[in-house]
Amino acid sequence: MPCARYITSLQELADGTIGSIRRAEVEQHLETCEDCRAALADLEKIRDAAASLDELQPPERVWLQIAGRLRQEGRIQEAAAPAPPRRYLHAFALAAALVIAIGGSLLFIASRNRQVPATAPATATATPPTGVPDAAEVQAAATAVEEAQQKLEAAIGRLQQVADASLQAMDPKTAATLQKNIGIIDQAIAEERAAVKAEPMNVPARESLFEALKRKVVLLQDTIALMNEMRKGNPSGAAEIVGGKG
Amino acid sequence: MTASKLTVRPTAPAAAGSGRMAELALVERVRRGELGAFEELYRTHAGRLYSLACRMLGNPADAEDLLQEIFLAAHRKLDGFRGDAALGTWLYRLATNQILDHLRSRAARAGQLTDALDDTGTIADTASGRLGDRAVTKLDLERALAQLPEGCRAAFLLHDVEGLEHQEVAHVLGIAEGTSKSQVHKARLRLRALLTRGSSA
Repeated sequence: MPCARYITSLQELADGTIGSIRRAEVEQHLETCEDCRAALADLEKIRDAAASLDELQPPERVWLQIAGRLRQEGRIQEAAAPAPPRRYLHAFALAAALVIAIGGSLLFIASRNRQVPATAPATATATPPTGVPDAAEVQAAATAVEEAQQKLEAAIGRLQQVADASLQAMDPKTAATLQKNIGIIDQAIAEERAAVKAEPMNVPARESLFEALKRKVVLLQDTIALMNEMRKGNPSGAAEIVGGKG
Repeated sequence: MTASKLTVRPTAPAAAGSGRMAELALVERVRRGELGAFEELYRTHAGRLYSLACRMLGNPADAEDLLQEIFLAAHRKLDGFRGDAALGTWLYRLATNQILDHLRSRAARAGQLTDALDDTGTIADTASGRLGDRAVTKLDLERALAQLPEGCRAAFLLHDVEGLEHQEVAHVLGIAEGTSKSQVHKARLRLRALLTRGSSA
């Protein structure tokens, strides 16, 4: 413990803000007081470490959510195409953010699961060291994936409404092709959902369901984009979108 | 509460003129509704503001939510940006105000408003051993920082990490300059105690 009467002076000395007279006095004291010398050295270490702390980077979903909110609130001037209804732009942004969030969580679960030996003994330590699997953490991540997945499905529901309206306005042949593709993906989603329900902690099953949901987001986006191209009187753009889906 | 003259990390004088013009041009594009321009602004400043929010709040999830609110507020308020201060300083001021409002409402909910930002406390809990030859890693410091009381953590972050002068810290936090000094000093002693405890465990 440093001497009480020098504590403030030691801090000012570490900061370089101490006056010259006081500095001389403290330096003289330091020659004979080991505790104060140790305290000064420690304060300098802490000051240096604080000044060298790295900048932290926010996850990408923060920007996606900001962009989604700005669009939803009509504060963005959409450049090329006529501005589509805000409600499904928000659904796009939400779906995109959730796709990233779920992907990250799946990776986390997958990497944790790989580290968990089948017969991992229970550990008695309160805080497991880095890299050692923690069942509670894996469970928490699984719950987060499930919640995010539900939100993704809700966003898909909203996209589906817009896509349905677009399909009604299209020529019947194109609409039928798109409807057929949506039906195939819906079937795949139903099968994957059943697999996840049977084994909630099965990472490959969750990944497959997530992939199927992602494919549906892309298809719905394309359906809506196709409608926009047709509205703009750009049949070749529309054909390109349909062709790309083949 | 508004900080009127934050001077952290000033732009080099030679670059300041052209930098300011580029900033005003960017702001004008944001005002016209260009999302790409606002994304550019976000990418330039988000890291620093997120770091501050993360460390001040001690919770990355809250920091993400708040960062979103900070940039949405910035988008709304950019109409009032006249270029008197650098864009980074203007954003930093906006961010610190939002972070502090968040801390105050959190402290009020927990019934500890008085302690939060004007905590003078005692230094009895800072009695400690020595770090000796042990280096203080960034990770050690981040962990210890999260354990500091909010009041002295805020002062320490603004002064020792962000590089504000005590006068500026006092202005931002709405406390006396002397309180800023004592809070920073107390934070360092507490950090020393926490880091020493960590090394002896």
